[in-house]
Amino acid sequence: MPNNSGKVYGLTILSPILNDDEASPSHDLQIRSYLAGLSTGRESPFAQAPGTHLARLVVMDDVIFVGAPAVEEHLNSKYLIFESNCDPGPDGTIDSYLQGLAEYAGAHLDAIWSHCVGYPGASDRAAFVRYMKACQLETTFFFAAVNDKSVPETLRALQTQKAVADFVETHQGMQPGQLRAEFLQLVATLDAAPMPAVASATVSREMKIGGRNE
Amino acid sequence: MSKLNETDIQGFVLRGYNLPYGRYILLRFENPDRARALVSKLLPIITTGQRWDNGKPQSTVNIGFTHRGLAALALPDATLLSFPVEFQQGMKKRADILGDTGLNAPARWDDVWHGNDVHAWLGINGLTATALDDCCSQLRSLFAETRGAVELAAQDAVSNMVDGQQTGKEHFGYTDGFGNPDYLGIERNSQPGHGKQLPDGSWAPLATGELLLGYADEAGELPAAPIPHILASNGTFMVYRKLHQNLATFRSFLDEQSAVYGGGREKLAAKLIGRWRDGTPLELAPDAPDPSIVKDPQRSTNFTYGADGAGTRCPIGAHMRRAHPRDAFGFNGKLIDRRRITRRGQTYGRFVPEGELASDAEERGVVFMVLNANISRQFEFVQQQWIEYGNDAKQGNDKDPLMGNHGGHGKFVVQGDRSATNPPLVCAHLPSFVELRGGDYFFIPSMTALGMIAMKLVDPR
Ligand code: HEM
Repeated sequence: MPNNSGKVYGLTILSPILNDDEASPSHDLQIRSYLAGLSTGRESPFAQAPGTHLARLVVMDDVIFVGAPAVEEHLNSKYLIFESNCDPGPDGTIDSYLQGLAEYAGAHLDAIWSHCVGYPGASDRAAFVRYMKACQLETTFFFAAVNDKSVPETLRALQTQKAVADFVETHQGMQPGQLRAEFLQLVATLDAAPMPAVASATVSREMKIGGRNE
Repeated sequence: MSKLNETDIQGFVLRGYNLPYGRYILLRFENPDRARALVSKLLPIITTGQRWDNGKPQSTVNIGFTHRGLAALALPDATLLSFPVEFQQGMKKRADILGDTGLNAPARWDDVWHGNDVHAWLGINGLTATALDDCCSQLRSLFAETRGAVELAAQDAVSNMVDGQQTGKEHFGYTDGFGNPDYLGIERNSQPGHGKQLPDGSWAPLATGELLLGYADEAGELPAAPIPHILASNGTFMVYRKLHQNLATFRSFLDEQSAVYGGGREKLAAKLIGRWRDGTPLELAPDAPDPSIVKDPQRSTNFTYGADGAGTRCPIGAHMRRAHPRDAFGFNGKLIDRRRITRRGQTYGRFVPEGELASDAEERGVVFMVLNANISRQFEFVQQQWIEYGNDAKQGNDKDPLMGNHGGHGKFVVQGDRSATNPPLVCAHLPSFVELRGGDYFFIPSMTALGMIAMKLVDPR
């Protein structure tokens, strides 16, 4: 199954952007402007929707001619590309993920995809899922840097890792009896802990990253 | 590739002089014509890469320019704009990228860096303090005679002496200066562990273009360089960073942590760097220092980390393992061959042996100088990803234990095993042991390029 890598689903959606000479700013620019204002952190609508490991949106204008001997070619339309590494439903399909997107991020999806050809809106869930799947391409090959765990499993694991790291740091050198008691207490606390909020494991880094440096 | 033209390359680029006395003079140019007149006078004095068949000279002089300095020398705009962006911006503007924030923020740097006045760097080294002073007086009379430059500041540096003998020790007490890369065509006493590792485990020199402009780099490409080619060729870029060392903080940290660490104080010190303080690599001798390894060039840098994936010999987050991970990331080290840097550091400030009282406030540290063909791909990457972050080494957000900008929030994991003398340890709430006091990015031109600058011959057309 080329859209799957282990447990993770590689979703690729290509939606043609409306081509309207009358629109100003053009539809592609309106998408770009909306995307530029979207949070990339835990407030990102794609982080809020369940099951997203990583999502990326790109506006593809055209094929760039890089000079001879390349052949000059052009696209028939501008496209919005949506890539997501996400958890598929228990049936292995993408339907439940798409429904979750519509539910948690409907307003954002509408603001973005309303500039695309044939978009039905997120409120009609069935039509939305049909539309997205009609725009889907087979991903064929992808790499998911997520240890083959689902998003909830990952959030739990990070919660445990942090708690154990803090525990180790504060309990070094403790007598075995007390250590054991406190460790059992830690395990009980972790068992009872609520599922961490999405993207809550993100540590804010002061450093400016990305661009040419990563 | 054949031997390089050593007389066209500044000596400082090709080798560490290992002269005990250093002074780094920072200059501002006042007027392009007078500044060029000064550069002309300096031309015959600059130390080239020509080998010292008759022993070391009394002193050496090398020169580099910031982008503002090259503008002050009135190089053509088309040339100035062709330099890589990070060099045009200078180090201060790269603070966010480098993690030079908080305690390391430019606002806390030495005064000389507060303006944008530093145009040139003169690196002077001497065999004796007198030789250094004599050389500097000669230079200063040239500044006065040509009225080409104003001296903004002079940073003295001196190798740490123990019992009157020059040592390779930095202030924390570690012997430094073992590992630096070999490059194709540069003659040097090379030793296993200096270059890049080949699939069969042997070591070979890195491509020349990882150090010098105008030659193929590890990707078989020419490093990004200014135009015209002749201005760039045989030149390189230098990163200059004055790194203050909080010696009292470091020593009390060792005291506190070794009280709970079964391996003892010296082993803990070794775990932070990856070498015992005498220089013995932990990978080769995890239990105790072995002076015979330190003295043997066939062994002192000849090790890898692949067989120590758990970090029980050398911690995965140790300084040396981060800064040059060798084979630690797999793929025969291929992932790191374009992230190598050449170090030319020298200590400054008074050396305080263990047992004597030291304070953080005293001026003391390393004038850390890095040479590389591409500052953004080499130094900046190492600083950002490997010193100030730990993900590549699977150490999460943990920074380099000693060099990281921790500000009281650092963490360092010493991986261990079940033995009583090599237990695991987690150090938390790490303070900053090292703080940045300023610096900038400099272009170190070839002798030909220096002549062209002096004679106003730089022509990008
Ligand atoms: C006060 C600041 C620093 C001190 C005291 C220091 C000290 C040391 C010591 C003791 C070694 C081991 C000796 C050797 O293998 O040559 C070393 C190696 C090294 N350090 Fe640092 N260092 C400092 C800052 C830095 C920084 C900021 C970087 C990088 C941006 C860096 C990069 C390296 C590299 C690349 C090696 C060589 C590793 C190898 O080839 O195996 N150092 N340093």
